[in-house]
Amino acid sequence: MLRKYSTHRTLGDNLRLGSLTAFSAGMLNVASVIVFFAFTSNITGYYAVFAQEISKGNWYQGAVVLLWISSFFIGSFLSNFLIINGKGRWSQYFAHAVPIMLEFLSVLYVGVYLDFFYQDSLQETEYLVALLLFAMGLQNGLTASISNSVVKTTHLTGLTTDLAILVSLLSKKNNRQNKAMVDKFHLLLTIMVSYVLGGLVGGFGFVHIGNSTFYIICFILILIACYDLYKIYYVKHWFSRRHKKLSTV
Amino acid sequence: MSRDFLVKINYIVIFGILSISSLTVSRLDSPEQIIEGEWIETAWSIEKDNTNNAVSITSPVYQELKKEIFDDFHELHLGCWNFSENGKLISTNKHQNEQLKWYIKGRGHILELHRNGKRLESFQIQAISKDKMVLHLNFDLQVKGIIEIILERKNKQETNEIYAKEV
Repeated sequence: MLRKYSTHRTLGDNLRLGSLTAFSAGMLNVASVIVFFAFTSNITGYYAVFAQEISKGNWYQGAVVLLWISSFFIGSFLSNFLIINGKGRWSQYFAHAVPIMLEFLSVLYVGVYLDFFYQDSLQETEYLVALLLFAMGLQNGLTASISNSVVKTTHLTGLTTDLAILVSLLSKKNNRQNKAMVDKFHLLLTIMVSYVLGGLVGGFGFVHIGNSTFYIICFILILIACYDLYKIYYVKHWFSRRHKKLSTV
Repeated sequence: MSRDFLVKINYIVIFGILSISSLTVSRLDSPEQIIEGEWIETAWSIEKDNTNNAVSITSPVYQELKKEIFDDFHELHLGCWNFSENGKLISTNKHQNEQLKWYIKGRGHILELHRNGKRLESFQIQAISKDKMVLHLNFDLQVKGIIEIILERKNKQETNEIYAKEV
């Protein structure tokens, strides 16, 4: 899921990465709307909100929104920065897993803070939302970077547009024979369904288990980060066995 | 212009945005600080409804609707909202032991009222300044519209009344 880069990635790699990250983003978004009254996986609306607050003379609220947008920006920046600078220093898998681990730590911090320290103050809300937007920036930066911008999982504006274009293209019979087009359709549809399902699970989850919803998101992120470890271990094991066999012969 | 220079400009702009917004947030009063104190309800109306203003705000229909919507807490506060520093919405009725708590959420645009730890109501803060606050309530009755509540700071209202009497 995280080992491969750009065109070396298979449809399966992108489907697994897209569905799991979109599911976690959907969950996080709904949970944060319930707790903080603020979206944390998409920032398109915040640009409009920023302009609206400034035009109303609400400088404080405008500045808060600007800080939130910056948090998402810094998250995406850091994600790609780690990927491009991690190459050569660390293994490709590790360079790709670091942003997910940082995201995991951010979400875990929010979950623990909500459980043990949260006083419902505005200041806490502001910086916890900023941290979640930073986490989503990390995630979106990672998925877009390693998949050559094919997988974007924290917002659905571009995805819905791409999906609509594909659906219209697939109305032509010869396009339906085009495997790349059909594969892309499946990928986008999977991401969309996963995001919505994540939102539903996040909403229902929060009603029943409250802040523990954030720990479920952490579990999904750990799953994404560690999935390839199993494969790497398996391949190493297979190679060492083969090497032993060859050396005995 | 060289690309290296443009990259440097990028970093300076980002740093500038972060500095200015951080400075604004740290220097200006947040809505949580502005809201503290006593506010008097001065107007109450239904926005974006279907009536085309055919029904007057003072009509019994509106008054009944208001009573229905504010059934949970309006009688307790009788048009006076006292937001104390410790997060309590203090009742004007001294015999009332029940306490409501207030919280500001989002980017400072949501006012949430809690009773016994449970969410009672949430308002959208449409505008807030030292003297005036406009709240919107999206009510879930089978009526299309938004309730707009205009509140004025008590001191300012008293000053206005004294001035009106003098005139």
